[in-house]
Amino acid sequence: MEIARRTFLKSAGALGLLALIPQRALSSVFATAPGPGQAGRFLNAHELDTLRAVCARFIPGPPEDPDPGAVEAMVPEAIDMLLGAFTFKPPLIHAGGPFSDRNRHGHDDFSDFVPLDRHAELGWRIRIEGTKGIKAREFAGPVVGLQQIYRSGLAHLDARAAPATFVDLPAPLQEAILADLTDGDVQTFVGAALANTFEAMYGPPEYGGNKGLAGWKYTNWPGDVQPRGYTNAQVSKPDPGSPSLSTASAKAIEKFLPALGGRAAPRDAWWLGRASIVRR
Amino acid sequence: MARSAIVVGSGAGGSVAAWALTRAGWDVLILEKGRHLLPGLGTASGPRTLFGNDEVKAGRYFENQDIVLEPRTSRTQDEAKKGTAHSFVGDVNTLPTVVGGGTVHWDAKTPRFWKQDFTMLSDHGPVPNANVADWPLGYKDLAPFYDEVEKRLGVQGDIHKMPANTLKQAPRKKQFPMPPNPPMYGGSLLAEGASRLGYHAYPFPMAVNSREYAGRPRCNSCGFCSGYGCPIQARGGAAVSFLHDALLAGARLKPRAFVYKVSTNAKGTRVTGVSYVDENGGTHHANADVVILALSAIETARLLLMSRTSKFPNGLANRSDMVGRNLMFHFFTAAIAVFAEGVHAWRGPSTTFTIDDFVGPDKGPAITAAGLPYVKGGICEVGASTLLLEEAQSYAAIPNTWGLPHKELMRLSPARSHFAALNMVGEDLPQVNNRVDLDPSTKDVYGFPVPRITYSSHNHELVASAYYGPKLAAICSAAPGAIAGTFLPLFLLNTVGGSVASFTQTRHVFGTGRMGHDPKTSVTDAWGRAHDLDNLYLADGSVFATSGGFNPSLTIMALSLRMARKLAGKH
Repeated sequence: MEIARRTFLKSAGALGLLALIPQRALSSVFATAPGPGQAGRFLNAHELDTLRAVCARFIPGPPEDPDPGAVEAMVPEAIDMLLGAFTFKPPLIHAGGPFSDRNRHGHDDFSDFVPLDRHAELGWRIRIEGTKGIKAREFAGPVVGLQQIYRSGLAHLDARAAPATFVDLPAPLQEAILADLTDGDVQTFVGAALANTFEAMYGPPEYGGNKGLAGWKYTNWPGDVQPRGYTNAQVSKPDPGSPSLSTASAKAIEKFLPALGGRAAPRDAWWLGRASIVRR
Repeated sequence: MARSAIVVGSGAGGSVAAWALTRAGWDVLILEKGRHLLPGLGTASGPRTLFGNDEVKAGRYFENQDIVLEPRTSRTQDEAKKGTAHSFVGDVNTLPTVVGGGTVHWDAKTPRFWKQDFTMLSDHGPVPNANVADWPLGYKDLAPFYDEVEKRLGVQGDIHKMPANTLKQAPRKKQFPMPPNPPMYGGSLLAEGASRLGYHAYPFPMAVNSREYAGRPRCNSCGFCSGYGCPIQARGGAAVSFLHDALLAGARLKPRAFVYKVSTNAKGTRVTGVSYVDENGGTHHANADVVILALSAIETARLLLMSRTSKFPNGLANRSDMVGRNLMFHFFTAAIAVFAEGVHAWRGPSTTFTIDDFVGPDKGPAITAAGLPYVKGGICEVGASTLLLEEAQSYAAIPNTWGLPHKELMRLSPARSHFAALNMVGEDLPQVNNRVDLDPSTKDVYGFPVPRITYSSHNHELVASAYYGPKLAAICSAAPGAIAGTFLPLFLLNTVGGSVASFTQTRHVFGTGRMGHDPKTSVTDAWGRAHDLDNLYLADGSVFATSGGFNPSLTIMALSLRMARKLAGKH
């Protein structure tokens, strides 16, 4: 297994030269996350700043909105860690289980990331790095990796903003670019970046985002509840004081109903897969 | 004398067969292409789990088939006629690729098939352009095995609350091994809506512990159920209820063993063993007296087609040309009730109620006018909603809804907090042209052709969805406190995101190796034994002659147990 891992790392080029970070040091990685103007684990300083501007448009925080947004929740830094997942050992792909320590279990199992076996590692190398013309990865055709999607997507946002850069544009102009459905390059990037933003905002904080449980607090979401679970009354009775939905709001959300049908993930754009309400 | 068996696949069918044969003294080798994520399984300390309340991990191919490494392709029947090789590459109805198979993250709903499911052709005649068939066995043949599997899994339910017609169609002598879970609030409101319209909702039989059972704790309703490995092992399943004891009794398990060929003797009368690839790419061969295929309907058909020989040029055990054909998926029709108050329909084991009033068959002028002798629906899963990340992803399906509108939606939380869904598990009729074959160009990570799914709905499914959908929506509207009720018809669910690929939204797969009396029109006999090969058995959804309107895993397990007992000479 170790030999296999080294072989993979060699084939990964420059990434293999970076020191692998053992999982117990994860909290210090989070504490020393790159600030504005600093390079991340994969993205350079300018790319990371551009991603921050994008994430601020996807899930805005103060002052536009009273609750913390994606930037405050450290979503851009978490996405950078996903792009650099293989600089961690084990890679930051699958958090451990069964319990976090949020319900006073005594140890945060989630932070013990699960090592990938050789098969799973190949799948995630392809997802993150792409097939890159490597024969052992192109058995079913090429896949553009997330690293490339971010690198060229963020550069394309600057190209659209020229002669300014994307981060220097006022928010409404940034939004106009991100919302341009006629620009396929923008939309490929938006599809991937939005999916990753949601994961980092609404997933467990062990993945690096959702800082201070910002994504769970403003949505009134309890997150992981094991090993406590719910009482019979919490399951079977209404929650006292739960907010009410107006009939007008109910009408307004009807356009989202078809989205509950879900979407099958294509191999070359796997992040577009979406669970269906009928899956349950 | 000890006999030997190779079981391919460690899910519902494979684990049950391995357990029964090992206990009968057989030497059993289980080959599983997926990963092992239950440390301690098959040891005295008992299985632990790496699963948690983690939506990110669930979406990152932790236990699910990795579609980058093992994609599938699909096309419609029309595209097949035009010669399109495939129109989609990706996730086509994949099931977990992991030790324990689909039941590692199943919803654990365990309704029984009904008496009528086994004799649809005799009772109601053929349906034009469909290939409806009787099963070569009946409910009474399966009943004792249903009893035994339910007891071992630990199924909850309440016989006294079941409708008379359900007990007439699926008679049971005894009360369930344990009482129902606490009823989910949103589901209770829908159950009341059903009652107001004269329908009958009752506690859904499921393999979830409502009390400590078989050394596993009671369910605490955490809400991460269907699609999530249970963090506390409160849910029964192939791994914890069967495979664990099979391994303790001496069965051997090889994870990450991808079987690519079933071999036969020179005469082509018996199978001799299988060839497989391990995680490091090494190839191996293993022999046994009996080979049992339980890879799930799509992969079992694919393996038979890949194992063709000069004696079986169209695929092993395929003299009937039925291997891969009659592929069925359940089609779901969802109705949604919208409530002003929060109903937290995500809290609990997905759903706690079911309704049997739409199983059918139903007849009438509208159905006759559509050219159908009858329509069938299925049971309903009453009162589910979505988790947080799923909710965010659903809203994002509408372009450019990020930004402040996204935050406002997530705060209002209609889909998660104010919806309760009613999902009908609709019966899908078999068609010979809905099939699995080998994709001509796309290969998987092992270098073998991936399964290609050719599928189009029969008019029956479209009509049934339109027929039952408004009734489901009426229940939603009649629920106390509901401010809206609407339904999502089959055609809508199927057209979002493309053609056949949307059928991946149902994970129930059947029919690619159907059982029957006639070797000319079926692949196996009533025991799952291949007509063409004495010692080859199929033990998964492939053998189903029709799909019924019921979650299939319990029936897969009961069929597998019946087969294994016959093999072991105890039947």
